[in-house]
Amino acid sequence: MKRFSSVLIAAASLLSVAPALAATRPHYGGTLRIALEESPENFDPAALDTPALRSLSRLIFENLVQMDDRGQPQPALAASWRVEPGNQRWRFQVRSGVILTDGTPVDASTIAASLRAGNPHWKIFALGDLVMIETDTPDPNVPAELGLARNSIVRRANGRSLGSGPFLVEQWDAAAKHLRLAANNQYWAGRPFLDSIEVDFGKSHRDQMMLLDLGKTDLVEVAPEQIRPAQSGNRNLLISMPEELMCLVFARDPQSDGEVRLRTALARSIDTTALNNVIFQAGGEPAGGLLPNWLSGYEFVFPSGSEAGAPERSLEPPITLTLNYDSADPVARIVADRLSLNAKDAGVHLEPLTSDQAELRLLRLPLASLDGQLDLEELARSLELPLPAFGDPSITALYTAESTLLQAHRIIPLLHLRSAVALRPAVHQFQIGADGAWKLENAWLSPETP
Amino acid sequence: VSFRRRLLLLFASTVLLSVAAVTIIISVMSRRAFDRANDERTAALVAQFHREFDDQGAEISRRIQSVAESSDANRMLVAAAQSPPDYSPFLNTAQVIAEAQRLDFLEFADDRGTIISSAQWPAKFGYAEPLATQAPPTTPFLKQEELPSGSALGLFAVTTISAADRRLYIIGAVRLDKSFLDRLEAPAGMKVVLYEGSSGGFSPEHLVSGDAREADALELAPIIQGLQASHQAAAALIHTSSGDENVNAFPLTGANHQMLGALLVTSSRQIYTQLRAQIRAAALLAASAGLMVAILLSSWVAARVTRPVEQLAQAARSLAAGNWMAEVAISRKDELGALADSFNRMTRELRDHQERLVQSERAAAWRELARRLAHELKNPLFPLQLTVENLLRARAHGQQQFDETFRESASTLLTEIANLKNIIAKFSDFSRMPQPQFQPLRLNELFESVVKLHLAQLAKTAIACKVEVAVEEAIAADPELLHRTLSNLISNAIDAMPEGGSLGLRAREQNGSIRIEVADTGKGLAPQEAANLFTPYYTSKPHGTGLGLAIAQSIVSDHGGRISVASEPGRGTTFIIELPAHRDKLSATPGTHV
Repeated sequence: MKRFSSVLIAAASLLSVAPALAATRPHYGGTLRIALEESPENFDPAALDTPALRSLSRLIFENLVQMDDRGQPQPALAASWRVEPGNQRWRFQVRSGVILTDGTPVDASTIAASLRAGNPHWKIFALGDLVMIETDTPDPNVPAELGLARNSIVRRANGRSLGSGPFLVEQWDAAAKHLRLAANNQYWAGRPFLDSIEVDFGKSHRDQMMLLDLGKTDLVEVAPEQIRPAQSGNRNLLISMPEELMCLVFARDPQSDGEVRLRTALARSIDTTALNNVIFQAGGEPAGGLLPNWLSGYEFVFPSGSEAGAPERSLEPPITLTLNYDSADPVARIVADRLSLNAKDAGVHLEPLTSDQAELRLLRLPLASLDGQLDLEELARSLELPLPAFGDPSITALYTAESTLLQAHRIIPLLHLRSAVALRPAVHQFQIGADGAWKLENAWLSPETP
Repeated sequence: VSFRRRLLLLFASTVLLSVAAVTIIISVMSRRAFDRANDERTAALVAQFHREFDDQGAEISRRIQSVAESSDANRMLVAAAQSPPDYSPFLNTAQVIAEAQRLDFLEFADDRGTIISSAQWPAKFGYAEPLATQAPPTTPFLKQEELPSGSALGLFAVTTISAADRRLYIIGAVRLDKSFLDRLEAPAGMKVVLYEGSSGGFSPEHLVSGDAREADALELAPIIQGLQASHQAAAALIHTSSGDENVNAFPLTGANHQMLGALLVTSSRQIYTQLRAQIRAAALLAASAGLMVAILLSSWVAARVTRPVEQLAQAARSLAAGNWMAEVAISRKDELGALADSFNRMTRELRDHQERLVQSERAAAWRELARRLAHELKNPLFPLQLTVENLLRARAHGQQQFDETFRESASTLLTEIANLKNIIAKFSDFSRMPQPQFQPLRLNELFESVVKLHLAQLAKTAIACKVEVAVEEAIAADPELLHRTLSNLISNAIDAMPEGGSLGLRAREQNGSIRIEVADTGKGLAPQEAANLFTPYYTSKPHGTGLGLAIAQSIVSDHGGRISVASEPGRGTTFIIELPAHRDKLSATPGTHV
């Protein structure tokens, strides 16, 4: 993994924009207003699956470890850790002096109880101020997995989820889709600069941009296809690396060589360049692999869509495949239409189907982590595919696992899409990670100038 | 079938046929008038469609011209001039402009035929638009536009803008859909329906109706399929859940005269159906009234015609029954009056003829009676004459001889005088036949007494007599008259068997009547003899008066019965008497006359 850490460092440096580097001294106080499209039902970290929501989750909940911009695990609630030879038994030293927002301390037993809920295949023990994790098979990625949002340390009591993050939930109005976070004065790493963060959920990208332009909010999401128009409007943008995988996923393994040929022909018929350049307005990159090139370093060896060569001739007779996509999403609809057009050239008729019984699904899968192997595992897990096996943490093992997944002909990668935010100039020290994660904990607001 | 019924049938069928003929004529004329009006209204609606088509086409041309003059179009033209061109900024441009210009379809294409932006199918950018690579029509035209979910008919117009050596094609259209059809003002009962598609058979999904999706769409399948095959206008009658409808189908063709769909003008036949129902109801009413009139009229006519005929028939029946005075009243001077007059004349002539016949028969009877009487009387008179002449001759020969002759002659004279008296008594009996005096009579007793009377004769001629009486109960009859009848029949039987034989006397009850048989085994009777046997004064015997069987027949007839004879030559003769038992008279006073 360290082989491509330099790539991550370069990427991270590119993504840090001028406001974050401003020489202005940080300023305590103020309320940061955010508008988001998603509308969560609760704030259980296991259910928050978009980068923006995961970022909010990190303000409230913490993990034993956290991943840095280079994809390396760094101490968080665990002050240190060590692994016994064989990569099967891990010991984590719990940081002392950390308390939950209700004032109860975060000890080893609290952490072990939280982790057991999401990792039934692990054996987790609380030994004094140590948390010991044992795995059935050698697993060098345990620290990276502990950095995932779903492994946030949370204590669930009386229908509430309590964390130890820099902010705490002060108000949650599900009907109004409004969340107010207040600074956690007891935060072990020091009180954040912001007094509070207010989030309005359920705002469309168009509404978000309008609120930003009207000064009603400080930070909004920008959809990949809106990045270029937003840039042309001279807005203050932070853009991630291409990280969200848009792909076609087959519901089952191919049952015959003919089905393999059909899937290959379908993959080759898709003009991913046109998809990216026109529909997404160059808001991403054509994808040949599952992991973006900046993360894996080898994606270029997997040809993307029609780059692999258009099918020689269309299938006769034409074959119909049912395609499921999010019909409420106009972009997904136009992508599906485009895919249907491309597929028709190959003799494949894609028939839209709203049911989950469709043979093909158009999905957008955010990058789960900056760790490639962990990403592949999470991707396979979310698609209910066989989990890839990694003999070692090398890039070769990663490439082999990804090739195996692709050769299963269950997934046709289409694009890796960027995520972006637009923010007002008053927002400082806000960063967006290569994986699209928001770094709000150190953000501060400059005083409004009349 | 009686004349009255025939007359009724004739009148009724005449009325019904007349009403039916009038109904058919009115129905046919109504249908033709309705069809003519329907054709005219259909033609007017089709003309209105074409006017709307032209007006909309002109409006579309105006709108795309406005699009052509917009800055977006110019930006596209500039982008098309770049190498390589970047059309990505225009992905949604066509949609935005189409919405602003109220166009259902709008596409921009460069001079290579590449779609730059499409409102109806945004994902189709980069694909070819054939209209841009061919010479597009200069006037609005119909076109089948492919859409992500099928296809649709649109009224298209194309314009181009150019700069340097680059051209930009702007292709705009309004969909021929329900809103287009709603602009047509169809008369009541008429609808305009569009069918999108020129081949591949019929599919209800391709129907676009001005009102609603047709529930009875499948009824349109044959006419659509016929139109797809012939590309010629067609008409048909369809049956829908709301009633019959006339459908006129016209092919809709595109710029290259290829068929793209069909314009269907449907016209409800409800008005005609109602009219037809009214005509039928009126016809039914008229037929009913006519039938009533026919019944009354036929009854009246029948009464006028058949009453005299029936009177004539009644008079004829009366005449046949023996009423020679039957006549028919003549109240008319037509053929029936002449017929009645002829009948009356006939009856008068028959009466005259009958009277003459009776007189003739009476004279014949008198003559026969006189002949018989003369014959019967002549026989005894001849010995009387000889005896008297002997007495006269004996007077001349002396007293002794005279005395002897006188004694002999006296005896002879007495005998012959007795014969004469007997003859006169029989004639007297025949002329004065008494009426039967009904009293209880047991047939076995009657048979016994009659047989006993003839025992000596039976024994003398060696005739075996066998009596079988199967009637136990007494009947009502005149014992003396029946005794005389049976005695006569037994005497005849004995006479018929001079060489001996067998005599059978049988009596039994049969169907409420008493059947008495007197059978002999004599030589039998010839058919001619059997036929005349009961005629008075007919006899086959040398010394018979011919009155015995006539008297027997008279007695049996007076008892309400009848006598007959069955005989075959050589096999004997059987006399059969059939008498009513008359037991109801047994409770009445004895001696009651019938």
